[in-house]
Amino acid sequence: MYKYSDTDKKIITSRVKQFENQVKRRLEGKLTEEEFKPLRLMNGLYLQLHAYMLRVAIPYGELSSKQLRKIAFIADKYDRGYGHFTTRQNIQFNWPKLLDVPEILRELSSVEMHAIQTSGNCIRNISSDHLAGLTLNEIEDPRPWCEIIRKWSTFHPEFSFLPRKFKIAVIGCTEDRAAMLVHDIGLRIVERKNQVGFEVFVGGGQGRTPIIAKRIRAFLPKKDILNYLEAILTTYNQEGRRDNIYKARIKILVKELGIEKFKSLVEENFSKLSNKELEIDDKNIEEIFGFFRLPPLKSNTNQIPFKKNQEYQNWIKQNVIPHKIQGYSIVQISLKAPKKPPGDATSNQMIALAEISEKFSFSEIRVTHEQNLVLPHVSNKELFNLWNRLKIENLATSNLGLITDTICCPGMDYCALATARSIPISQKISKHFDNYLQQKEIGDLKIKISGCINACGHHHVGNIGILGLDRKGQEFYQITLGGSAKEDATIGEIVGPSFSENNLIEAIEKILNTYKKHKRNKSEDFLTVFRRIGIKEFKKDLYDNFTKKV
Amino acid sequence: MIILQKKYEYKNHYKQIKEQDFLKQNIRNGSILSISQWRKTKHIIQDQKIDVAVEFSSNDCSLSDHDEISKAAMIQINFETFKDGRPFTFAKMLRRKHNFKGELRAAGHILPDQFVFLIRCGFDSVEIKEEDKDIWLELLEIDEGLYYQP
Ligand code: HEM
Ligand code: SF4
Repeated sequence: MYKYSDTDKKIITSRVKQFENQVKRRLEGKLTEEEFKPLRLMNGLYLQLHAYMLRVAIPYGELSSKQLRKIAFIADKYDRGYGHFTTRQNIQFNWPKLLDVPEILRELSSVEMHAIQTSGNCIRNISSDHLAGLTLNEIEDPRPWCEIIRKWSTFHPEFSFLPRKFKIAVIGCTEDRAAMLVHDIGLRIVERKNQVGFEVFVGGGQGRTPIIAKRIRAFLPKKDILNYLEAILTTYNQEGRRDNIYKARIKILVKELGIEKFKSLVEENFSKLSNKELEIDDKNIEEIFGFFRLPPLKSNTNQIPFKKNQEYQNWIKQNVIPHKIQGYSIVQISLKAPKKPPGDATSNQMIALAEISEKFSFSEIRVTHEQNLVLPHVSNKELFNLWNRLKIENLATSNLGLITDTICCPGMDYCALATARSIPISQKISKHFDNYLQQKEIGDLKIKISGCINACGHHHVGNIGILGLDRKGQEFYQITLGGSAKEDATIGEIVGPSFSENNLIEAIEKILNTYKKHKRNKSEDFLTVFRRIGIKEFKKDLYDNFTKKV
Repeated sequence: MIILQKKYEYKNHYKQIKEQDFLKQNIRNGSILSISQWRKTKHIIQDQKIDVAVEFSSNDCSLSDHDEISKAAMIQINFETFKDGRPFTFAKMLRRKHNFKGELRAAGHILPDQFVFLIRCGFDSVEIKEEDKDIWLELLEIDEGLYYQP
């Protein structure tokens, strides 16, 4: 894992001091709320429906047991005993008091964590593949690159007041587990003629105008990555729209100019402004890679223990995947237990997990963009013990990738921008489809739910997307079908008129029936069937004979 | 108002040129011109070696190579709002693309929290209210030297 250097420590500490100063000036009236807002946002502090909300970065999704304990401590002392893991590898606290925030930031800095640039119109926390460094088909581990980019983007003097927020994701293989193509910049590590570099995508995003990122460079040599990012950001900071907040993201600029024109501006900046000092040399790269080596795992022939316990077997089948070192497994922990808000973990669960990770996974925990957790290096022979331990903490739900593994934003329960509730919808879904075999029969399916058009719950890219709307004071839910956030990224299509909360489950059932009817074999999943038969069939079955009034 | 150049304070000696003076082409040392005024008179200014400043707003940070802006003595960029980050990029462009070596000054709605950012993008000085001086200096001290970029 990455370890802070002296510079990192100094920077983080000085930031806490600076924020303390800002809070003081705000309380003394020397900063107006309008002036304070962008400053607090840059430290991850939002003003929400009931209180402030603090968003803490988990850079590229990696946590140590010590950090997780600290998060639990903060949740207990300054919040209401839980935290919410988000879709961009952050954790949110929903109830901190403004005056406590500097102290919380100080606590975080003691375990090398921070809330810097987790909101505001700046370059946000860099996100990555939660299986980085763990799979065989990876070209290179993306995490060191995330760290290089994290440093470069932190307090960037030129890019801290952009037209709008800016999100970057980096992945190291063909499979996209980080929704890279719906980011402002997506980077994929690729190999060409024995040289490793980046394939660069730009202008993806969700929100009210969902767009899949366009490729701007098929191959960029590694050493140039920061200069190329600067060239893109320079272009965006100059040309991006500031007249209309809904048109301010880079995706709109790319769309309005066209990718060819945009590319020519970027390439010109790249050739004219590139700075030798920003080039990354091999020594540099090696040094950073040193932090991300695997723990001392010895390849072995240990098998996964067999037990006559159906629940355990389901869990192995659903949540456990092989590690690239033989004899070890990657254990995925679902934060979508029935009746629980998706992505929430209590402080007791976090403390337990910290201890579990120390015993079973070299003190390492990962956070996924699908709001789940991962224990990255578990010896096969320990799996049954681990399962028993997780079960006690209600952390052994076997639903990874299934219909009840929903992504869901906080919605009306917490969010000031919401037009409808979203957590209760996901709870309804998990209650209705709680049987494992029933879920297994439906197969791989991603439901994603947002409480408003801002799309924090990724509904545009859900196989089934659900968007909460307000119609004359009543909540309605619009359904989109066929979206994907993976390497075949697609924006879902709206199926038709929206449904009231009471009709929503029936609508989902009908959609699933259409799928089952057209499924050619057991393994043909929902998305494949949808792409084969198109939205028409679904529409017909869904609206032609709806039992209740829509 | 005072001018702060890092830790040092000095009095401003630049002043916006009056319209009638400009019409009479009465341009003196220390005049502040708009970019269109500069474009119309830059040959005279250069011939007579007058030290003038050119003023931009965060809304119109653009230039072409024909503007020969490197010949101006000072450039002032007025922030309409501190949230508009264009002047930061513009400052970089002035230094790196337009080869401007004179004084680069930020004015208008700027925050002390931005002091180090301004300096690092190529600004030399800021125009601020006298009573704000202490907080500007305090924040400069907290932030100075602490950054990742070259
Ligand atoms: C509760 C406070 C929150 C507020 C006020 C908020 C606000 C917003 C807004 C305004 C947008 C649209 C931005 C745009 O289109 O330019 C957005 C997008 C987004 N938010 Fe949130 N959000 C909140 C919580 C969350 C949470 C809990 C998550 C993760 C579960 C999240 C993840 C995202 C993502 C992934 C996007 C889409 C990225 C994109 O626009 O391309 N947000 N949020
Ligand atoms: S999608 Fe809307 S309701 Fe949900 S968290 Fe984002 S802004 Fe709030």
